[in-house]
Amino acid sequence: MNRRRFLQAGSAFVALPYFETFAAKQEKTTTPPKRMMFLAFGWGVTQQEWYPDQEDIGKDYKLPEMLKPLAKNKQDFTLIQNLWNKHSDGGHWGSTQWLTGANRYAQPGVSFSNSISVDQVAAEQFGMHTRFNSIQLNGSEKNVHASGHGPGLSLAWDKRGKPVGGQNSPFEAYHKLFSKGKTSIDELKKQLADKRSVLDVVLTNAKSLKRELGKVDKAKLEEYFSGIRDIELRLAKEEKWFDVPRPQASVDEPPKEIQGKNEIALMYDIMVAAIQTDSTRVLTYRQPVRTLLTSIGVTVHQHDMSHYHYSNNPKCEASKKRDLAQSELLNGMINKLKSTKDFDGSSLFDNTTVVYGSNLRYGHLLDNCPTIIAGGGSGVRMGEHMVMPKDTSLCNLWLTLLQGSGVKAESFSDSTGTLDEIKA
Amino acid sequence: MKVKFLVVCMASFFAVSLPADEKSSHTLFDIKNKTFIEDNCQRCHNAKKKKGKFRVDNLSYKIDSNKTAGIWQKILNSLNAGEMPPEGKKQPEANAKADFLDALASTMVEARKKLSDQNGVITMRRLNRREYKNTLRELLGVEINVNELPADTESGFDTVGANLFMSSNQFEQYLALGEEALEEAFTWELEAGVNHKKRFEAEYLTKKYKKYVEKTLDKQKRSRAWIAKFDEAAGLPENKELYAALKKKHTWKNKVRDKWQELPGAPNPKDFGFKEVHQINSGENPYYLAYHQHYLTLPKAEEGAYISVPTVHPFMLPTGFVEFNTPSKWPPGNYLARVRIGAKQDAPFNRKVIEFGIDAPHGKVMSTHRITGTHEEPQIIEMPFTLTRKHKDRENRQIFIREKASDYHISHKRKFFNEEKKKNGLGPEFVVWIDWVEIERLPNDKRVTPPALKALGISLTDDKGLMRADLLKAFTKFTELAFRNKEVSEEYIEKIYKIYESRRKGGENHRDSLRYSLSIILSSPMFLYISEPLKDQQHKTLSGEEFAMRLSYFIWGAPADAELMSIAKSGKIYDHKVLAKQTERLLGDPRGEDFIHSFTYQWLGLDRLDFFQVDIKKYRTFDDSVKLAAKQEVYESVKHVLSNNLSMKNLLKADYVLANNVLADFYGIEGVKGDHFRKVKLLKNSPRGGLMGMTAVHLMGGNGIETSPVERGAWVLRKLFNTPPPPAPANVPMLSRLSDKVLTTRERQKAHQEDPQCRSCHRKIDPIGFGMENFDAVGLWREEDSYYPHDKKGREIKDKGKTWKIDPAGQLHRGQSFKNFFELRDIVASNTENFTKGFCEALVEYAMGRPTGVSDELLIESMLKDSKGYKMREIILSLVKSKQFRTK
Repeated sequence: MNRRRFLQAGSAFVALPYFETFAAKQEKTTTPPKRMMFLAFGWGVTQQEWYPDQEDIGKDYKLPEMLKPLAKNKQDFTLIQNLWNKHSDGGHWGSTQWLTGANRYAQPGVSFSNSISVDQVAAEQFGMHTRFNSIQLNGSEKNVHASGHGPGLSLAWDKRGKPVGGQNSPFEAYHKLFSKGKTSIDELKKQLADKRSVLDVVLTNAKSLKRELGKVDKAKLEEYFSGIRDIELRLAKEEKWFDVPRPQASVDEPPKEIQGKNEIALMYDIMVAAIQTDSTRVLTYRQPVRTLLTSIGVTVHQHDMSHYHYSNNPKCEASKKRDLAQSELLNGMINKLKSTKDFDGSSLFDNTTVVYGSNLRYGHLLDNCPTIIAGGGSGVRMGEHMVMPKDTSLCNLWLTLLQGSGVKAESFSDSTGTLDEIKA
Repeated sequence: MKVKFLVVCMASFFAVSLPADEKSSHTLFDIKNKTFIEDNCQRCHNAKKKKGKFRVDNLSYKIDSNKTAGIWQKILNSLNAGEMPPEGKKQPEANAKADFLDALASTMVEARKKLSDQNGVITMRRLNRREYKNTLRELLGVEINVNELPADTESGFDTVGANLFMSSNQFEQYLALGEEALEEAFTWELEAGVNHKKRFEAEYLTKKYKKYVEKTLDKQKRSRAWIAKFDEAAGLPENKELYAALKKKHTWKNKVRDKWQELPGAPNPKDFGFKEVHQINSGENPYYLAYHQHYLTLPKAEEGAYISVPTVHPFMLPTGFVEFNTPSKWPPGNYLARVRIGAKQDAPFNRKVIEFGIDAPHGKVMSTHRITGTHEEPQIIEMPFTLTRKHKDRENRQIFIREKASDYHISHKRKFFNEEKKKNGLGPEFVVWIDWVEIERLPNDKRVTPPALKALGISLTDDKGLMRADLLKAFTKFTELAFRNKEVSEEYIEKIYKIYESRRKGGENHRDSLRYSLSIILSSPMFLYISEPLKDQQHKTLSGEEFAMRLSYFIWGAPADAELMSIAKSGKIYDHKVLAKQTERLLGDPRGEDFIHSFTYQWLGLDRLDFFQVDIKKYRTFDDSVKLAAKQEVYESVKHVLSNNLSMKNLLKADYVLANNVLADFYGIEGVKGDHFRKVKLLKNSPRGGLMGMTAVHLMGGNGIETSPVERGAWVLRKLFNTPPPPAPANVPMLSRLSDKVLTTRERQKAHQEDPQCRSCHRKIDPIGFGMENFDAVGLWREEDSYYPHDKKGREIKDKGKTWKIDPAGQLHRGQSFKNFFELRDIVASNTENFTKGFCEALVEYAMGRPTGVSDELLIESMLKDSKGYKMREIILSLVKSKQFRTK
């Protein structure tokens, strides 16, 4: 039996040794670090059967039909209602402003702008300890609109409000995180020097170009410069990590072509492996929805699905099937985190915050965004159904999670405070 | 001298006309709406009460900042969401609310547009994905797949610079893609003269039939022998009770056989060459045996092959297609497949069309061809295709030919087979006969060396005798071309050389080092960005070269060629006559297709075409070929109007249609032969002619299963009337009380008119959509429609349905009424001016790479004036001659 199969086979997860080298390199500490994961789906949920009754709050709430696959882990996640981003207005934008809370009209003179996403705020602080500051993952589908996420290259937006790209399949993600070249350190150093001289050449050209440009264009070219700077920072980091061997992944190399439900499950495996090996502490995943539907035999068009009428009809059936499949996947993620040991003997689950949701509830509805928090990473009480006052800012939740995870932040986007009532 | 004079002239012109004047940068919300606010909001949201810290008594009706816009947006949102006035308070009268929402939503759209107006400022942009690909093609003569680059647009055109971002990931992709393109180009160049040709006989398939029939017969014989023995054992008196018990337990005959071990004396399948009993069951009466045997009796089966519908799994016997493998050693290049083919003369049209592509199980159809030859007198059809370095694996080199309409045949093959079997006792007729297929790798010796390799001017494989100076010169020439005539610094070239040198010293060969160094040039900003240097000026007139590039990227999505460049350098490009001539040349050039495709696709929003899977069970004549043709019809129709300099009105109503045989057959138009599109005159009462009669448009206005009058109505308002309804507002409560009710489409949609929030837009959208209900979801004409509720499993409940006659009559909101589709189309066609204005706005945005704004009103007016009766080509000429088009 290969390792991956074994991993999938049951709850008995291989507990790989925590890599002393990493801990040794960065910080001498006995408590495991905090991690954050953000999982987003476009096109919302089947609202009538996904949300618990708003009167039925607390620990003993009745688990709604669409969350039944999570039943065994009911004590280990919390569902929060009535959160939203008041500025979001894209009826098909499930993810663009989910983690940013931005007002697209905030900058005069352009019809769209965004601001830094919460994961990147965390990454700024957590990133210095790991090989990768953060990892951004996406579904592998070609037609990016098909999953209702809206503009962006991933869930993440940098501090200039520009989209951050990422890896678009389990295969790419695996190689980014765990690929071990056979190259020697000397060879690596040479490659690095090579890459730097390439950057030097293009920067020479960028500088000559810049001299000629008008004000607006100079600002535009700044994107190119900052792209190059990002690479330079990455290279500097690579250099720092040269003598630390790439960790052994607890997953096998995934197949190149895999789509839908299995793709998401594999990506979850890789995400767990990424934090288990402390390769990064911040991950986002913009999940595929269209290919998920295809893989579970749903042919209804995704947009139609999100405009279902609540009765017996193919659209509503499709919507429910999607919810159940997504809940089952999330359940798998929780299981994996719970059964994987952190280096001090606690579980990864105890030290991680998993945020699962979307900026879009159903149809074009952008209020009461579906929101589930799992894990002990930021001190949110688990196992409860909580209802916030109507139209509470999602950014308040983001701020609460940041602070709970130890990020020094006093406010985030349009936050008005923290949600103290959700803390343990 | 003359050029300079012109420049000065124009520069002084701008000072007066370009910057948008202050007055027009705000939007006024009609003050008469104040009454509504006073009547419905002000009782609570006034200076005293300030309910929710929100006041409406001091609202500014002049929206001149994002802050004011934000306040009005809040009002719009809470009315739309039904939150205000709160429950229990007096509610506004429904019509007044609808009118107020209508006015406010439209004002907000205008205000947002004005507030984000760039006042004529064109942001420098990087090449978008399409232009990047085209530019590499122009430089290197090869097409590469650039799909891994991020898609460029979410809204608006892919040329709008402000929306085109750059990230670090992308930079690395550019490096890799550049290398890929160069390697492809090197290979094509080095293998230019190679010619290969090979003929494949199609009767390999007949041999497969023979083998398969033999095998089937043998299996049948063995199956029947085993069954005879089994029945014998079952018939033994001592087994009587046991057998009866088995039969009682397993009512299905075949299942009983499965329990042979429990029956003393029953034969062991292994002795008959079977592993499992189910093989015997399936071997007893093979469903397709007679059909397969019939194949072998067909005339000419020994000299060729017949293709038909799929029967058994293609792995066992591929009855649905023939395939031929391009030898793996043949290099990338342009290829031609020739097939000698004929069809049974009296067969229906639908079965006399073949589809050609690569990789039969997964491949896309690349072209469709109508067969005119017969079994007796076959014809030769030529099908061009291209193989690149990426076509390495066997499945990527295997061409196939299959019958059209295969989608339906494949997904419902039993059904189709049985229908035909009922007619002749056998199954679908064998219509298409193929003698042989020839694959040729065409020599490229006539192909000129692509410009960038020519500029490079050195051997790609050998650096013997190449001095440092030679390489510096080569890099300089290559770079100048790649950078579209931008000045290149010596420092830059020196650095490129250093890279090359260090690779060579590191032991890499000349070819690889060269490719690597050049790929850096193709990732440098002067290649990736279309820059028009300004320095400290506000605006400037483009230099000749810059002007040429703007023109060629507008029409070709690619850099200017040598002819245009030389005209640009001489300054003649500013001469309106020369400019007009060049523009027409560019439009007429094959590269001009880029404009037709890319502009039309974005202007008319054709992306929706790829949203849906058509229900081919419901629409059996629809398939991939029809979809391909339907999309092509839109392009061909625009191209026809453009190249014949016709009025835009022809796109709204015409007495002709552009069609090929496939589309004509789908529409039921007779007498169209041949695979190419041509103008076909329509009968007087035809609903075709103009966009509203096109399958592509109707397909987009539905979901592949049912029509959506809302989508159709909104599309017509957006694109044809040029009065786009505001985007669907977020957070409007949905109607749910209609679920499960059996209603006609019209009854269902009437609900839209109940709530004022919905009514404000739907009263404009819905009547148009209903006027088009005579077209079904794939754009075929119909008189009736029906609806069936669904059971718990999502299946239609047939006996609870409802069928009704379509009533297209209606009235535009505060406008003309119409009795049927034809009258509606006439109303739309009478609005050619608005339609053309929308076209102009789109064109300006696309060509200039920035959203159109208030500052463009004069330009658009003059384009309309110059159009000599809304002629498309005149409009394009007017735009390229305008001062804005030659201004940065």
